[in-house]
Parts: sequence; C-alpha cells; structure tokens
Amino acid sequence: MLAGAWGMIGSRTYLDTDTSIGGPHGGFPSTQLSLLEAATSGLANEALERVIALYWKPVYRFIRLKFRKNNEDAKDLTQSFFATAIERDFFVRFEPSRASFRTYLRMTVERFAANEHAAANREKRGGGIEFEPLENQAVTSESPEQVFEREWQRQLFALALDDLRSLCESSGKQLQFHIFEAYDLADEARPSYADLAARHGIAETSVTNHLAWTRRTLRGLVTDRLRGVTASDREAREEMRRLWL
Amino acid sequence: MALSDSVLDHLRHVAALPDLTGTRYELESEIGRGGLGVVYAAHDRQLDRRVALKVLDFALAGEARLIARLEHPAIVPIYETGTLPDGRAFYTMKLVAGTRLDRYLAGSPSLAERLRVIRRVGEAIGFAHSQGSIHRDLKPQNIMVGEFGEVYVMDWGVDAVEGTPAFRAPDPSLDHRSDIYSLGALLRFMLPVAAPPALRAITTKAMNADPAARYSNAQALLADIERFQEGHAVEAWSEPLWHRLRRFGSRNAVLLWLLAAYAAVKFLLFFLRNV
Repeated sequence: MLAGAWGMIGSRTYLDTDTSIGGPHGGFPSTQLSLLEAATSGLANEALERVIALYWKPVYRFIRLKFRKNNEDAKDLTQSFFATAIERDFFVRFEPSRASFRTYLRMTVERFAANEHAAANREKRGGGIEFEPLENQAVTSESPEQVFEREWQRQLFALALDDLRSLCESSGKQLQFHIFEAYDLADEARPSYADLAARHGIAETSVTNHLAWTRRTLRGLVTDRLRGVTASDREAREEMRRLWL
Repeated sequence: MALSDSVLDHLRHVAALPDLTGTRYELESEIGRGGLGVVYAAHDRQLDRRVALKVLDFALAGEARLIARLEHPAIVPIYETGTLPDGRAFYTMKLVAGTRLDRYLAGSPSLAERLRVIRRVGEAIGFAHSQGSIHRDLKPQNIMVGEFGEVYVMDWGVDAVEGTPAFRAPDPSLDHRSDIYSLGALLRFMLPVAAPPALRAITTKAMNADPAARYSNAQALLADIERFQEGHAVEAWSEPLWHRLRRFGSRNAVLLWLLAAYAAVKFLLFFLRNV
C-alpha cells in the first residue's frame, strides 16, 4: 500500500505542496574559492553553506520522489542529511577523480535516505502505517535523478539571478535589469524589442545592448556559483557544458 | 525567484549565446558542439562571407593558436582569434561545406574511397605530430568530407580534452601514439563488413593496448595501407602461404598469363613434333 503523500496516476507523479525552504533568498555567500580550496583552507562551513544554498531544494525534491516522502518527512530528512554531512567529514570523503561533486552528493543522499527510510519502515511495522492524503499537484514524469539535476539547474540560476539583481541595484543598472526581467524572465509571450524601447524611452539598439550585458553578466555569475561548488576547473567546465543549451 | 521550466530553458540558452558586440561577426545559427566549445555559423560583415565561429568554454585560447600553426590542406584554416566580453575565447575559421564522415559512410563509398579518406586524415595527423601537436579526439564526427572530395580534420584538442571512449586509446596520458590508436579505431570504423584481413590486421596493430607495439608514427601506418593497395604484404600481418600465393597471383596476373601461354605453346609444339 501507499505510504506517504505520494501516488501515481498514469505515468505522472502527484505530490502535496513543496516546501519554500531552500529558496534562493537565504543570503548565502557568493563564491570565489573552489569547493575543495575552501574546505581545505579552514572554510569548511563556508563551503557547506554554498552547497546547502544550491543543493537543499534538489536534495529535498530527490528524496520526495525517490523515497515517496511527504513534505514534512522530506524536509526532516533533508535537514538531517546536511546536519550529518557536517558531522561526518562530508568533503574529506569526496574524491574528484571518481565523479563530479553533484553526482557524489546525490549518491550520498540516496544512501543516507535509504538507510533512514529502512529504519523508519522498521519502526512503522511495530505501530502501523500512516497514510497521507494525496493532493493534485502534478509534478513530473521524470525520474528522481532527472528531477535532481533539473532542480540543481533551477537553483543555480535562481541564485545567480539574485546576485544579478543585487549587482544591478548596487551599480545603478536597474534599467538593464528591468528590460532583462521583462524579456528573458517572461513566462508568457515576450514583448518585442520595439515595445521595450518605447516603454523605457530608449533606442531599440539600447535594448539589444542591455540584454547582451545582463545575459553576459548572468553567465559570469552562474559560472562563479558553479566554481564554488566544484572541485576543479575541469569539473566546473564539464558541469558548464551540461548546463548550457 | 521561482523559475518555470520554460524560463529556465530560455535562460540556459540565451546565457550561452556568444555576445559578439564589438566584433565584425553576426551570429547565424549553431552548427555543432565539439571538444570544449560550440561552433556557430556567423556572417563576417567586413568581408561579407560566412564563417564558422567556435566559442570555447572558458579562456582556452591555446586551441586556436595550436590550429593556426597547422597549415595543411586537410586542416581547416583559422581566420581570426578573439575574446568575447565575458572572457571566453573564440576563433573563426573556414566554413566547410560538406558531410561529416559518419554520414558520408552511410552513402556506402567504395573501399578505395574509404582508404583515400583515411590516408588524408593520417597525413594531417602525421603533419600535426611533426609540429609537436596531437589531436586527442579523433573520431568520425570530427572529420568532414567536402563537396569536392577534400577531407578536413577538425576539433583539434587541448589538454582538457580526453577523447571519446570508442576511439580513445586506453593510455593513462595521451601522446602521439594515442592518436595512432584513434587512427586505427577510425580505420576500423570505416572498413566495410567484409574487409580484407590485411586491413583488419592494420587496425589491430594500430590499436594495440601497448603503445610501443603500435605503429611508431602515422606515416608507418599509412605506408602499410599503401602496401595493401599496391598488393604487397603488410607489416601488420604474417599472412598464410596460400594467401601469399593468391596475392602474388593477383599482382602478377599478366606475367602468369604470359607464362601460361608460353607453356601452352611449348607444349603444343612438343606435341606436334611427336605426332
């Protein structure tokens, strides 16, 4: 029988509402040092903060889908995974030659959550299984591993967009950000360059230039974030190649 | 900031596009992805011509300098190198109109044509080795056959390239012998199913797990292919006697026919004299 707030209808998966924890507004530090540099130069906590900022949501979503956990259980498991990571020399065990940090982290989460899940099921056998109600939130037909990667990309861009907004505000480039927001972050139909030019009273070529600047800056900020959670230039480069379409 | 899947994909796309502001090029479309970068078709406004523009991940300008040094008919010439405003290096090169080797082979070219192509590839590799460069990622996707039959070896590697598994040598670190292995793997890929055993033997020697047991250089491999084409024994194979006789027969068919005719005439004359 189904345990947890999880169910299948056809090939689609339905879950109750996700948590808002682990969003991009956590104020985590922007990064310069690579992950291992930070970890080995006494900045393990700082490195872990970067990792949590980027990976909290992907880990949470992965646990939800892979182990069919409800929102609260998945949050608890995610929290206890990161707490355990701090206690158990998580970085020291990472071997960059064997896999990317992203893969290492996902596999570690999988092992950790599988153990916890098995322990929880043993307890339940003595007491009884609790059923969570299903809510009709269509989530995905992708595998948990694909969802993990997708959330990782989403979180990476969300963090870089926060960095971009702060940068634009602090350097008087709000206009550039507004144009970028109206065009590149539009969920519906995008306005034309002419519309944007008229709206802001600028030439159409300026719209082109502003968009080019913000996209370029965004790319740089994504790269910075990525460098902070990879062990080497090579790993960062390989991750970048997976990222760009 | 909550990003929908469609916005995320849009950002992944637009943030990757090269910003060509301040250059003489206009972006047209993506035409391929290779080792360490993406290749686009672009328009050179100054010379009003189409070029291939390769944007490298990060600042790996060394690749362009490496290729620019390699002036050879089978290596695509570099026009210009530069740096994008975001720090990525790019270079422009001749836009080759042709077919990628794997697709070219789908047209079932003759064995002689396949060997012509591999020899052109081998010549380019041999030349690069003589200049101190190695390819690192030789595979069908990196070979183009042009509309006039010209052959181009593309996507010359830099240190960061580690090769493609099916064509990569099992060597701990790559050197010119690793390219020999890849050349052998490429030849094996190009041969038809019923390929002559001598050619199979050439691929086996080139792809030996021990680098020292491979051909010492590209020229030696090409010389063995040439020997096969001229009907001589190849170094890579100690052929059985019957095979050697058959090869001798096909190489000296005219001589053998003349000898047979001579013997027949002699026999006829001997027969007539004794009747």
